Amino acid sequence: MRALHPFTLLAVAVALPALAWILPAPTGGAVTLAVAALLLLVPGASPGLRVARTALLTAAPFWFFLYLLHGISGMVPTGLRLSTMIASFVWLVAILPPSRLVEAMVAAGWPVSAAFLFSATLQAVPALRERAQRLVEAQRCRGLATRGGPLVRLAALRALALPLVLSALHEVDERALALETRGLVAGARRTPLAPPQDHVSERLLRWSLVAGCLALAVWRIA
Amino acid sequence: MTARLTLHAVTYHYPASPAPALTNVSLEVPSGAVTALIGNVGAGASTLLLVAGDLAPRVMGGELTGSVERAGRAALLLPTPWTQVSGMAFTVHDEVAFGPANLGWPRERISASVERALTRVDVAHLRDRDPATLSGGELQRVIFAGILAMEPEVLLLDEPTAELDPLAARRVWELIRSLAAGGMAVIVATNDIDALPDVADRVVWLESGTIRAQGPAAQVLVDRGLAADDAPGSTAVAAVWRAAGLGEPPPLTVSQAVERLR
Repeated sequence: MRALHPFTLLAVAVALPALAWILPAPTGGAVTLAVAALLLLVPGASPGLRVARTALLTAAPFWFFLYLLHGISGMVPTGLRLSTMIASFVWLVAILPPSRLVEAMVAAGWPVSAAFLFSATLQAVPALRERAQRLVEAQRCRGLATRGGPLVRLAALRALALPLVLSALHEVDERALALETRGLVAGARRTPLAPPQDHVSERLLRWSLVAGCLALAVWRIA
Repeated sequence: MTARLTLHAVTYHYPASPAPALTNVSLEVPSGAVTALIGNVGAGASTLLLVAGDLAPRVMGGELTGSVERAGRAALLLPTPWTQVSGMAFTVHDEVAFGPANLGWPRERISASVERALTRVDVAHLRDRDPATLSGGELQRVIFAGILAMEPEVLLLDEPTAELDPLAARRVWELIRSLAAGGMAVIVATNDIDALPDVADRVVWLESGTIRAQGPAAQVLVDRGLAADDAPGSTAVAAVWRAAGLGEPPPLTVSQAVERLR
């Protein structure tokens, strides 16, 4: 499964939630969730039980609030659809390294800027988390209370957010210069370093998924 | 030695800044030599590198008068490693290959150039690491390797040893010297004056955006004006020599001082 082309994995991860919302509830949602669960759990295809548990823990609060808002009858159809979305996304994130997807985008001739936006966004998350941690430590050294009740935490969040945003903005100029000097300019034709193989059968599968989703959507609307 | 970079009467204003960051700067940077820019903070050394690298005003905006002639591709290493990470690489190897890949080179050429750069900067052992897990010094050397992998003719370095420990800094200075010996034109802005007698062929002393003095390192670094309170200072050896009243011109390095004292 991991050897499949990134676009194929992406197509599966997008098609499952799409089908969950297109097909009649609750059967459609149940089927798509079963497929997503299978992807998470089947040996060989599975990214592991830990990932399945992540999907489960992420979906649980949605079921709870749906039950509070709509009762059992409203909870099940929407819960199945939302769970399909969550399971598919968690599966994709676990099975597809961002570097492979970026390589596939570059190899497919996507603009370098689009590949950069996708990849840099993913890499920005841990970097910002680390910087936020440093800021919290620095603020603590200067006497800011970051532990306690909700009001204390809210005040600490405000003291964290401003320097975090300002420092990120401050770096924009230098980052633009660094990217420019390293050749990341609009219109550059980047060489893919390790382009993933894209077989005809996979391309066929992807287009089949798109066509299938569209046909089912037309059938449902008609 | 042929000129790789020539600035003639360059004056540059940053956007919305009434005072020029550089005023009437004329400079010739030959291939095969290291030109060092020294000066206090705000003297214009970093701005001069941006102008030399065709980043100001093209990317930064602002207004430039005078002329800049470049022969060959220039690449700039900035002082902060974290802001120079590509954001598109998940291993050190791919980080170093980022620039060459953007230039559209064939994969074989990229691979050879990356291997050479990793070895030259002594980071080959980090090739499979995620750049996000590296220390500041390691990351700075990886970015340096990424710049070298692009095989620039003009190398622009802004405080290249700022994040490095003394040993790593010494190796970088040796590398810079060997790059110049290989024919590259190197301009380096630095506050590490003590390293310059062994590294720089020429020194340009900047003050408030203008060139106060320029010439061979051995000549500029013994300028008495450098020892003034508001000046960047000469080498530590020169400062001690003058403090002891041992006569002008002072030696610049320990070995020169030992030679003079014998």
